[in-house]
Amino acid sequence: MSSNRTQNILLPIYVGLIFAFVFAPIIFSIIFSFNSQRFPTIPLGSFTTEWYVKILNDPDVWEAALNSLIVSVSTAFIATFLGFCTAYSDYRYNFRFKGPYLALILLPPTIPLIIMALAMLAWLSKIGVSGQLWSIVIAHSVLTAPFAMAIIRLRLHQMDPDLESASWNLGGTEWGTMRHVIVPFCKPAIVSALCLTAAVSFDEFAVSWFVSGLNKTLPVLILEIVQGNIDPQVNAIGTFVFLTSMTLVIVAQLFFLSRQTKSSI
Amino acid sequence: MTEKLVVFDGVEKRFGDFTAVKKMNLEIGSGEFVAIMGPSGCGKTTTLRMLAGLEAPSAGEIRQNGRVMNDVKPHERDTPLVWQSLALFPFLTARENVEFGLKMRGVGAAERKKSALEWLEKLGIGEFADRDISTLSGGQKQRVALARSLVMKPEILLLDEPLSALDAHLVIRMQAVLTQLQRELGITFVYVTHSQSEAFAMADRVVIMSNGEIAQVGKPKDIYRAPANRFVAEFVGRNNILTGTITTLADDAATLSTPQGEFLLDTSATTLRQGEEVSFVISADLVHISLEAPKAENRVQCTLISEEFVGSMVTLFLESSDGHEFKVQMQERELSKFDLRNDAQIWLSWDTNSAHILDQE
Amino acid sequence: MPLPNRPKTTFSAYAMTWRLPIIVWQLIFFVGPVVFMVAMSFFLVKNYRMTEAFEFVNWSKMMSKGYFWDSYWHTIWIATLATVCAMCLAFPAAFALAFKASDNTRRWAIFLLIIPFFTSYLVRTFSWFVILSESGVVNAMLGYIGLGPYTMLNTTFGTLVGYLTLTLPLVVILQTVSMANIDKTLIEAARNLGCKPAATLWRVIIPLSKSGLIIAAVFCFILSFGDFVAPFYLGGSQEPTLPILILDTTKSGQQWPRAAVVAVIMMATLFTIAFTAIALAYRKRASK
Repeated sequence: MSSNRTQNILLPIYVGLIFAFVFAPIIFSIIFSFNSQRFPTIPLGSFTTEWYVKILNDPDVWEAALNSLIVSVSTAFIATFLGFCTAYSDYRYNFRFKGPYLALILLPPTIPLIIMALAMLAWLSKIGVSGQLWSIVIAHSVLTAPFAMAIIRLRLHQMDPDLESASWNLGGTEWGTMRHVIVPFCKPAIVSALCLTAAVSFDEFAVSWFVSGLNKTLPVLILEIVQGNIDPQVNAIGTFVFLTSMTLVIVAQLFFLSRQTKSSI
Repeated sequence: MTEKLVVFDGVEKRFGDFTAVKKMNLEIGSGEFVAIMGPSGCGKTTTLRMLAGLEAPSAGEIRQNGRVMNDVKPHERDTPLVWQSLALFPFLTARENVEFGLKMRGVGAAERKKSALEWLEKLGIGEFADRDISTLSGGQKQRVALARSLVMKPEILLLDEPLSALDAHLVIRMQAVLTQLQRELGITFVYVTHSQSEAFAMADRVVIMSNGEIAQVGKPKDIYRAPANRFVAEFVGRNNILTGTITTLADDAATLSTPQGEFLLDTSATTLRQGEEVSFVISADLVHISLEAPKAENRVQCTLISEEFVGSMVTLFLESSDGHEFKVQMQERELSKFDLRNDAQIWLSWDTNSAHILDQE
Repeated sequence: MPLPNRPKTTFSAYAMTWRLPIIVWQLIFFVGPVVFMVAMSFFLVKNYRMTEAFEFVNWSKMMSKGYFWDSYWHTIWIATLATVCAMCLAFPAAFALAFKASDNTRRWAIFLLIIPFFTSYLVRTFSWFVILSESGVVNAMLGYIGLGPYTMLNTTFGTLVGYLTLTLPLVVILQTVSMANIDKTLIEAARNLGCKPAATLWRVIIPLSKSGLIIAAVFCFILSFGDFVAPFYLGGSQEPTLPILILDTTKSGQQWPRAAVVAVIMMATLFTIAFTAIALAYRKRASK
């Protein structure tokens, strides 16, 4: 009994430590962004919004933020569209070479980003679309479509397979059924997929750095700042990036989870 | 006086606000085949799990061979359980599954293998010893699960609805296997089920539970003929329950006035009062039928609604003029003497001493 | 869920509308780049310009360089170390979440652990850089109890912290899910057959969650093996890992073909390891 009790005390503490490790960099980054010290440490310096004022007055940051916004929104729509098509094809049809077909969309995340970055850089230069914002969008869509596909596929998995047939039986055409049955059913997953793919794209730096040329996104800007020195501006930009992607991820999860539980009742 | 093999002494089990088992007192003797039966949520599985040490009682004592078992860990007990899901280890072969318990007891590899093969052989699945669990059929898996528990040579074997996943024809076969094994080995079987036919077919004694309480304990026949209360009577089924008020009282007899008519009751075993509301039960197979009004003490005229054939037995479902449902069970060839159509008017009758008065709650 | 029974003749405009986009897109923008990169490893660089060719010179040059092999084994070693650390550190937490926590707590924990996966790894690494520095938070706290200061940056420890930041949440999630999905009656059955609580870990829990655990390890290895941020910023890149090698070769030297050689070797290594591990994970027992 006693070993069980120590387990019941020690294990939660351990879980707490793991979570502390995972969240420490996020929390400290936020704290440091309001800290007056140039080299943040304990005890903390005084509260300041100096770094935020600095980045707000920096046109480079504004430009990077705008670039990031354009890239992540475009990526989200392309990747979610591709993900939806694939998820639906997988759900609805059996066909030859389905294995390779699914591998085609699911493989990219298993390839290290640095390799994808090099391959993308080389290929996009070759076909003449490198060094533009669109280059990043193309690369990010390849990287994030699998996430969209997985989320939408999970949702389709919950759909009664007779739902579609029922709609045809009631006189719906295939296209009408898609519009009035499948898409509405997948809506929460589609919103989740949009948010998550946008979040991944918003944070991605390796591929963006390689293919972006002069069009820096926020993560690329951060990468270039931290290469030189410790600059607390990074914490301010970082906090902004964190908040954006965390919001996207949380919205995505809420959409996905809430609808999931509702539909299972 | 020596105590029975297993004693539940005021055992209670609470999960938060919910009391799964209430103040249970039950004794199980050595070599007995006891079935615990009841609707889902009645506490039967919780009772079994407490016996295996998988749940600790919230109050009371469980004793086995006179020893208080409340705090004994499951792995220190000798109460192997056959699970509803069978719970066979998918990463082990049939033989390795059977060997598992022996391995935990530190039995050597050669001896383990020998005992495991012996048991698999005995249950008629020796040839599948080295097969993966996933490649076996339902019935074969069932036997592996049984062998896995029996190889431990336990004093008591626990079974939690072990046949519920099988096809109907296999259930009958496994019932025979189980009763034969139990007789042969002389092990105590505690068998939890929601199926009346399983419990009544196999058990020496049946425990009927309802809402965490024991509703009745007894031999299958006694429970069938003389259910203790309305719950048991309804749960057991295949009988007719009639309720009314006592109008006349005489020595050893009373007249009960019900919406279905006036019936006589034998009161030699109970005391009833004038005007008391009383229910009695009459087993479906003790009811006679006739087309002419019989000269019986208890009779009622009904309309035939439907017939249900199971093997050579037939059950008639009838309705009295006030809409009360009656059931009559008889041999099919006996029924064929009558020429019955649906809507036929039939007289039902029974002997007064066939009726059993229910305890009033 | 089995696929719904539907006709197999599916060559219709409707079907193709949904099937083709990803094929076209991925062929042009995924297969294209990867194949081109493999081809590029045979190209030549003359006067800082890449010319298409089919020569083995890049391969022979890279393979004969001692620093390449040092870097190769160092990367394998440190990614393996990170995988072992992540698997061991995550296990007790995953165990607690899978078996001790309520369903609700577990859902929340996974919910929280998904967040870092989608938030800027770069900023988190930079945050560690500040926290772990000579005068940073950790050393300041250790100073209060009279320890340190320790050098944590530009060491293997620093690299490991970075790798774990990247991989630990994912490893905890995968381990938790694979253990939470275990049929609890199998654990009870083991106890019922005389298995001690601690022994159920080896006898039941690990065999049952084996494939999930292996997949967690594979992902951890892939992520660590391909990451350049942790070894660069926290490990100081004194011993460059393969990703850093690619970075340097591409960004400074314009030697794309040589970078491609490194990348192809990395991919080959990863695929070999991943396939072996997955084959192990789903290996059927040899039926006698």
